[in-house]
Amino acid sequence: MSRVLVVDDEAGIRKVVRDSFEREGHEVTTCVDGQEALERLEDEEFDLIVTDLSMPRTDGLELVREARRRSAVPILVLTVKHEEREKVRLLDAGADDYVTKPFSTAELLARARALLRRTGTPSDKPVLTRWADVEVNLEARSVVKKGQPVHLTPTEFSLLTVLLSKPGAVWTHRQLLATVWGTTAGVTNDTLRVHMGSLRRKLEDDPNRPRFIRTEPWVGYRFSP
Amino acid sequence: MPRPGSWRDYNPGVLESLRARWVGYPAAVLLVLATIGILRFFPGLADSSVALLLLLSVFLAAWIWESGPGAAAAVLATLGFNFFFLPPVYTFTVEDPRNVVALVVFLLSGLLIGHLSALARRRLRLVEGEREDLAAMTRISQAFLSDTNRESLLGVAADRLRESLGARHVSILLADEQQKLSVAASTSDAEIRRDLADLAYRQGNSAAFPSELGGTDIYLPIPVGVRREGVLAARGVRSSEGLAEGCAVLLGLALERERFLRLARAAEETKTSDEMKSTLLAALAHDLKTPVTAARGAIENWAAEAGPSERSRLALSELESLTRRIGQLMEVVRLDSGVARPRREVVNCAEIVEAAVARFGDALAEHALFIDLPRTETRVEVDPSQLTEALGHGIENAGRYSPAGGQIRVSASADGSSAFLRVSDQGAGVPPSEREKVLERFVRLPSAAGVPGSGLGLAIARSLVELNGGKVRLAGSPEGGTLFEIELPLASRA
Repeated sequence: MSRVLVVDDEAGIRKVVRDSFEREGHEVTTCVDGQEALERLEDEEFDLIVTDLSMPRTDGLELVREARRRSAVPILVLTVKHEEREKVRLLDAGADDYVTKPFSTAELLARARALLRRTGTPSDKPVLTRWADVEVNLEARSVVKKGQPVHLTPTEFSLLTVLLSKPGAVWTHRQLLATVWGTTAGVTNDTLRVHMGSLRRKLEDDPNRPRFIRTEPWVGYRFSP
Repeated sequence: MPRPGSWRDYNPGVLESLRARWVGYPAAVLLVLATIGILRFFPGLADSSVALLLLLSVFLAAWIWESGPGAAAAVLATLGFNFFFLPPVYTFTVEDPRNVVALVVFLLSGLLIGHLSALARRRLRLVEGEREDLAAMTRISQAFLSDTNRESLLGVAADRLRESLGARHVSILLADEQQKLSVAASTSDAEIRRDLADLAYRQGNSAAFPSELGGTDIYLPIPVGVRREGVLAARGVRSSEGLAEGCAVLLGLALERERFLRLARAAEETKTSDEMKSTLLAALAHDLKTPVTAARGAIENWAAEAGPSERSRLALSELESLTRRIGQLMEVVRLDSGVARPRREVVNCAEIVEAAVARFGDALAEHALFIDLPRTETRVEVDPSQLTEALGHGIENAGRYSPAGGQIRVSASADGSSAFLRVSDQGAGVPPSEREKVLERFVRLPSAAGVPGSGLGLAIARSLVELNGGKVRLAGSPEGGTLFEIELPLASRA
């Protein structure tokens, strides 16, 4: 059971999100805006924050910034538009993932589940080393798929471990370039795309329809467990 | 540039008419004769006192009428001094040889005093003139800068220029787009010479000549950078050429400033109204999507508790199609209201294909998906989101109108100076005669009657692509179905 803080100014959405999480056995607290949420965060701990983006008083972006300053709690944002720049802004401010309205509760819960895996583990270590028919050995830096060893280049291995350190979370292009290459100068999104493509050909059953290493169009990538 | 100097020496002031050249000589002669006449009433005066008083009159004549009349006064005073005051009087002979020396000294002193006095006077006049010009320019520039409306700027400018130039009449002529001059502001009905104005505008030649109204008539081009905006025509001007030229430059600057202000205001207004529309549309999208989200969640939660049923499935699928329509309608409104401005950047076509497949690939869950990407980078300069959506509509259409299990091929390629994004399927295809028509709004083929859809997707795709400088067309695919094709110009830089 986890404690989930739900922040939205629309009563209908609050009710639906609360019911969904309670059905999964979580303990839910609701707030009507960012201001109230920040007050709650003063004296309570949560395992996940689900917040709307546009709200009166303190909005979602400000809430993400403030909450991230205080703790590493996973944050999932509910947005309306397919507006990539806004998503990148949210992620760079510290949000982990977003779902676009109108979302299905199944999708929302799946995203939340992935983020909740992280609870209680140090954030820089991969928390997931095994999915489907793939197994990753961090010490040996080796990967096995269907019982067969798979050769990954050092860059591919670094990319994979970064993605695995926050399963479910979206990494922006800039964040990945900065983490894996240590710089955003000289390397482009295209470089990233080529390495991801080759990682998919090695680890996905159908690289045209990746199940685990997902593209977030014009935003970045995520590992979807 | 011809710059006749006749008006240059005019000097405004109380004594001005007295100072005109032609009155200088007789006036100087009269002044000296009058002085001699008065001195004759005081026969007891010593010769030295008479000499000093005569020198004073020479000084005055030179101060007022300057060099020429001053010299004439000096010669006349010398002759008069000899004739009336040096014995033997009433003759030009000199008795005492010492007086010959005195007379020569007197003449030289007179000439020298006259020269120095005229020089000082001229200097003073120049300085005063410059100071007045400067003050006038300051006043004019203040008047120009305080006005931001073109009409009133021109009206005020003509009046102020007339005052500052001491002119009888001022006209401001401005050129239109066909480079034809017309009067934009005028202080009176006085006639101006169009031929000289045209010459000033076309050749940049200024003209100045004595006016029948007194003073000078001048025609000056109004410069704006290397161009000319129009002509400043002033009649009966009584100030310096420098001031008039300075005024023309100031007027050019003021007109340019007004033009920039107008452009900036227009840009600001468009921006504000677009931003407002954009904000309103975002709020509308939020207001439409929030209740749908809540309804959908409520049904899902209810179905999860009560167990899925035919009814909940129906409600959810209807909500799904409502959601799609809201999305499409919002897109159409955004396109029609002009707020869907492309935010272009240079991207690789492979990225567009990958993004569209990632976002819209669910529509192809039951098809065999093939992706062909070029080996070399194919770069286009477009709004990535808009192109992703446009290609996405092609992908959704292919998924919807071709049988499950069929092949769907999404590709990017380059040919000549164009990049191509294509989606081909193995569906029934679109008859050649209908291919242009189904790209229009709300147009659906009769054969599509059984498939849900609003007939907006392809029209939206076309608008989005055209916004980005590309073209959309439908053709027959080699596999026997439809080929949806987006053509874009390749980005100019590699």
